[in-house]
Amino acid sequence: MHEYSVTKSLVDLCNQEAEKNKFAKIYKINLKIGKFTGFSPDSINFYFGYLKPNTKCSNAEIIFDEIPIRIKCKDCGKENIIDEPILMCPNCGKTDIEIISGREFFVESIEGE
Amino acid sequence: MRRVEVLKPVLVSNKQRAQENRKKFDSMNSLVINIIASPGAGKTSFIYRVVEHFKRNYRVLIIEGDIRGQVDSECLLKLKVDVIQINTLTECHLDAFMIAQVLPKIKKKYDLVLVENVGNLVCPAEFEIGEDFKLAILSTPEGDDKPLKYPLLFHLSKVVVINKCDLLPYVDFNLKKAKAGFKKENPKIRIFDVSAKTGKGFEKVYRFLERELKVKKKGFKR
Repeated sequence: MHEYSVTKSLVDLCNQEAEKNKFAKIYKINLKIGKFTGFSPDSINFYFGYLKPNTKCSNAEIIFDEIPIRIKCKDCGKENIIDEPILMCPNCGKTDIEIISGREFFVESIEGE
Repeated sequence: MRRVEVLKPVLVSNKQRAQENRKKFDSMNSLVINIIASPGAGKTSFIYRVVEHFKRNYRVLIIEGDIRGQVDSECLLKLKVDVIQINTLTECHLDAFMIAQVLPKIKKKYDLVLVENVGNLVCPAEFEIGEDFKLAILSTPEGDDKPLKYPLLFHLSKVVVINKCDLLPYVDFNLKKAKAGFKKENPKIRIFDVSAKTGKGFEKVYRFLERELKVKKKGFKR
């Protein structure tokens, strides 16, 4: 349910960017979303439907591009992509790892005219 | 149709605001702890004990986050320390803007600011508020599998307190398994087993917090 405020920030950011780039309307929002964030695309879409009327996003859809969780083991140095956010090296089983990607949540680009 | 690159994080505004809050707290050398747990895990009882111990020698402020009502604030006011209530209404977490709104109410310098977040293991983890660190509480009836189910919170927390250890003989909670789970998510996490009801285990918590308070008082900046 925290997606409400997150989606509000998303709409605000896109409206600002549309203004700056002289877009009358946005049609596509290309969003990068790491798999190790607690944000659900379904919930974001739900709130987006509610928040977008009467903004430059009113005709826009969000294209979600999920970024996998990539970790690097500080012990054996191996990098791996993991499906579940269980922070353990699949190679050596150690847990002292660094998250290289998967925590991102940003607007990559907007498309419009 | 045109396409323009944006490359801006959606939550930049919360992060920025959290940084500004942190600056303000740092300028007063206040140690700010963001306390996160499920409803009923014992956040208020934990805070009660900590405040009772520290209020003699330190100036303590409690910031209470709840969706509605002020049941906890009323309970904590018995401690005769300052309490600020935030009602988040629809939101399931505190964010940096809510804290920023109450900053002007903070007129004194406090050594210790305990922020009781909304009862929830998911959302509060995502939003920095300007804290020095997050302290998670897990109570034994909730189950020893929680570290694996809510990895982000335990990954980001500096400390986890396992509360209601007095109930261990009655609930299926394997302390070893829970601890291994926490360490898996966060090898550096500090773990304390306590009972906020009986007070058992709190001496170690006090010693840890005392050290943190001293470091902060010297003006340590992250």
